[in-house]
Amino acid sequence: MPLTSQPVHDLQQKRAPRLSILGHLRELFRMRVDKSTARVGLAAICFAGLFCVIGGRLIYLAVTSDTSSEMRRVTSSEISAARPDIVDRNGEILATDVKMVSVFAEPRNIIDKDEAVELLTAVLPDLDASDLRNKLGTKKGFVWVKREITPRQQAEVHRLGIPGVGFLPENKRIYPNAEAAAHVLGFANVDNVGIAGIEKYIDSQGLQDLNGAGFNITSADLKPVELSIDLRVQHALRDELQKGMAKFKAKAVAGAIMDVNTGEMIALVSLPDYDPNNPVDALADDRINRINVGVFEMGSTFKALTTAMALDSGKFNINSSLDARAGLRYGKFTIGDYHATHRVLTVPEVFIHSSNIGTARMALGIGVEGHKAFLRKMGQLTRLTTELPENAEPIVPGRWGELNTVTIAFGHGLAVAPLQALMAVGALTNGGNLIKPTFLKRDAATALATAVPVIKPETSEAMRYVLRLNASNPAGSASAAAIAGFFVGGKTGTAEKVIHGRYSKNKNLTTFTAVLPADKPKYVFLTIMDEPQAISGTYGFSTAGWNAGPVTGDVIERVAPLLGVPPRFEPPAQPFPLMSRLGAWGTR
Amino acid sequence: MKRLLHFIAITALIASAGYAYSIKYETLFYVEQVAKLKSKVQRERDALAVLQAEWQFLDRPDRLQAAADEHLDLQQMKIQQLARLSDLPNRPSREDEIGRKLEALGLLEPTATPKDKTSDARTPSTQTPKR
Repeated sequence: MPLTSQPVHDLQQKRAPRLSILGHLRELFRMRVDKSTARVGLAAICFAGLFCVIGGRLIYLAVTSDTSSEMRRVTSSEISAARPDIVDRNGEILATDVKMVSVFAEPRNIIDKDEAVELLTAVLPDLDASDLRNKLGTKKGFVWVKREITPRQQAEVHRLGIPGVGFLPENKRIYPNAEAAAHVLGFANVDNVGIAGIEKYIDSQGLQDLNGAGFNITSADLKPVELSIDLRVQHALRDELQKGMAKFKAKAVAGAIMDVNTGEMIALVSLPDYDPNNPVDALADDRINRINVGVFEMGSTFKALTTAMALDSGKFNINSSLDARAGLRYGKFTIGDYHATHRVLTVPEVFIHSSNIGTARMALGIGVEGHKAFLRKMGQLTRLTTELPENAEPIVPGRWGELNTVTIAFGHGLAVAPLQALMAVGALTNGGNLIKPTFLKRDAATALATAVPVIKPETSEAMRYVLRLNASNPAGSASAAAIAGFFVGGKTGTAEKVIHGRYSKNKNLTTFTAVLPADKPKYVFLTIMDEPQAISGTYGFSTAGWNAGPVTGDVIERVAPLLGVPPRFEPPAQPFPLMSRLGAWGTR
Repeated sequence: MKRLLHFIAITALIASAGYAYSIKYETLFYVEQVAKLKSKVQRERDALAVLQAEWQFLDRPDRLQAAADEHLDLQQMKIQQLARLSDLPNRPSREDEIGRKLEALGLLEPTATPKDKTSDARTPSTQTPKR
């Protein structure tokens, strides 16, 4: 039937379209729905199906990216992730990633496992054969054979041609400066996960979460982390402390330098330290970061806090006199002076003679509650948290009576992290703003926004005055660090160590705090020495003025030019205007 | 007429298909090129990271200090040797001090050149003459 009808249609059509060219075109695109509905319908269904298939495939391709092969997915969770570079305040690299090749195996695809083990151990001799055999015996899709091999080993393993054994480039964390800033940087493990220090801090800022979510981050995408540390200063400090440690045969030495106006830590050294490239002994007990993990009784350095408290309260002024003629009896205890003067002292004299009696009297004048409140305000009673994840809680006496106030006044009976004490000294000298120390670079404006005013600017000037007096007056204990040209102020501190619950007479922890320059402070220095010994030049003394003081002096002499502090050989004209107006002891 | 139209349509179809294929292969070529360059850039970046790390490793302060102690004969810098640029005195006005002295001695006239070239008129040599 269709065969006969077709020519008829054609004839009819041939006649009709002769009318115009428009008609031709219309004829070309006309669908003959009237005659072959079924066939067109079938074709339509076919095409619709085809388009569905194509569309589906497109969606599939768009959703699953072409790089996500099976292997890639397995390894992305295994290979060590990229980490941002860590640079110092001048842009010197402190930690960076380099690409290293690691060998992996797919146990399912290895045909002869024993042969593979034999060949691999022949090329990589430090592999444990039985351990490797066990690893290859599992049904896992992916096991590491050896991480971080040399290019030569890679070539040799490649030449073995074992099916199911391959290579993957990995990021290896390296610390080119080795020990220089070990305690600040911390370290990362073989999987490039931060274990300690700033490395751990970086991870806590969300880097590991990104990696866990499967984002493939390269180190080029990551902005370098800028620390406040100055590598040159850091090295100089470490070098000087190392010399001091050897000279005074100390068990441990630590030092820190802080910018008092921004709270930036310019350097932090704790000896003995470790090499973050090979941190096998990083977690040993004597390698702790003594500046912010250890807590110590800071000794006479704490007298600066007591003096500031007394002056700031208004109950004492710079000309107040304190009776130090005889020991201060408290119950069955008698508080005596190390450098006894047996006379009535003014506040600056109490400070430079480091009189326990005078300082204790100041604290008693304030009272227990006032003392506690002041120390809490100065951040000495609570845990100080910085970017470094390691920190320690101060050891505060459980029942704080008057006797505690008396001893804490001169630095015994309250153990704090040295970083806390440094923060407090910074606040005492910078005009009275307590700024939390940071290990990241920042400017003074940002620091000031977070600063808490704790003492009056006048009290701060008085503190700078007594610190300077302690270094410039011949009777003061800080003269060893009074490097000419830098107008240094400082305070020594010697705390007897507690051995078996008693204060030991010959084992000391000596500290030295210096402020530079004293008229307009920019930096504070802190040095701690654990059990320094009396040596031939120190006349049998092992107190801070004989060891921590001179070491800090050496540090200042070497570091101050690096910090850009210009030397001035004429003393400033009016360094402490208020003090000279009040006629404080030592101004005339 | 209709046949011509069909012919044109088919030719256009083939031509466009050909063009599309050529575009496709060109794209593939460039994609490959881009991938190659990308991997090259990555390799360069990795090499750069290694070199940077190596530079820092060689440039680290304790190594420099050890090298300086071993090879240089320098003293520790003293604070007294430090000065700021603003501490330097201004440059003095230039004057010919040597010329003034010569004039005071009456020696500023042009030097008389010796005419004869005998041995005693020559500048004395620093070397011992051969005997």
